[in-house]
Amino acid sequence: MMSAAFNPVPVSPLADGLSSAVFVSGEEAANLAIADISLQPRFGCKGPGAISWLTAQGVPVPTAPNSACVLPQGKGRVLRLGVTEFLVEGDAALVASLAAAQRPSGVYPVLRQDACLLLSGRKLNALLLQSCNVNFAALDLSTSPVVLTSMVGVGVTVLPEEKNDVPCYRVWCDGSYGLYLWQTLCTIAEELGGGTVGAESLAVLL
Amino acid sequence: MKIMTCPINGPRPVSEFFYWGALREMPNPDTASDDEWAAYVFNKSGAPGVKKEWWCHTASNTWFIAERDTEKDLVLRTYLYGEGE
Repeated sequence: MMSAAFNPVPVSPLADGLSSAVFVSGEEAANLAIADISLQPRFGCKGPGAISWLTAQGVPVPTAPNSACVLPQGKGRVLRLGVTEFLVEGDAALVASLAAAQRPSGVYPVLRQDACLLLSGRKLNALLLQSCNVNFAALDLSTSPVVLTSMVGVGVTVLPEEKNDVPCYRVWCDGSYGLYLWQTLCTIAEELGGGTVGAESLAVLL
Repeated sequence: MKIMTCPINGPRPVSEFFYWGALREMPNPDTASDDEWAAYVFNKSGAPGVKKEWWCHTASNTWFIAERDTEKDLVLRTYLYGEGE
């Protein structure tokens, strides 16, 4: 049986050749930093029974479609994608327990082999304007919106957040498009005076 | 840029959607006459006017119904299947 907690493959080593990764720091990172956080543990499920099952597992469920909420103790996030599909990411113990838990009928596992990028910096909106059709600046972040749209031709899920008045966005896409999305966004970021950083340097944002 | 409103995701450029044909009621195969069945299988209405159509928001795979005036090239309303009335 296929596991719903299949481990994804990070995209940045594919692009950077494992040992030659170039990480920016300081001013460049403050402009625009992109980190590959594809290895975050995650679990997906969907179906008419998903809400009640997740609630029974102790997972908070966002009330509105296309919104998100934070896991207890801030250990990760739950995204509600559409009406009855959910993505849980961040808390390794919780993800493992969800993957191992018995699912009743009406709850179906969703294989999440996403590439996930963390974008941060004061020039982030300039990158979004070049790559995406959605005006993120008009969103009300207090409602924790989740945006499913197309970015440089790739279907993506975006969770816009703000940390210390600096925008900090997570972008998920199908893993097979991860390398293309990573390379394209890195090219734009470099033009804007930013670049790639190691995920650990953005750990405070996770 | 043409804008279409997804019932779940809101207004988006039409490039994020694809069209999947007219919403057509299937006659009961057990009781339909041959003529009725042949008309359902083979005949499509190309006349301009208000049409109910299947559309999909590809970024989220949201399927919904759009009522579109193909004569005036206007999207009149969009809703999830079964929620239109």
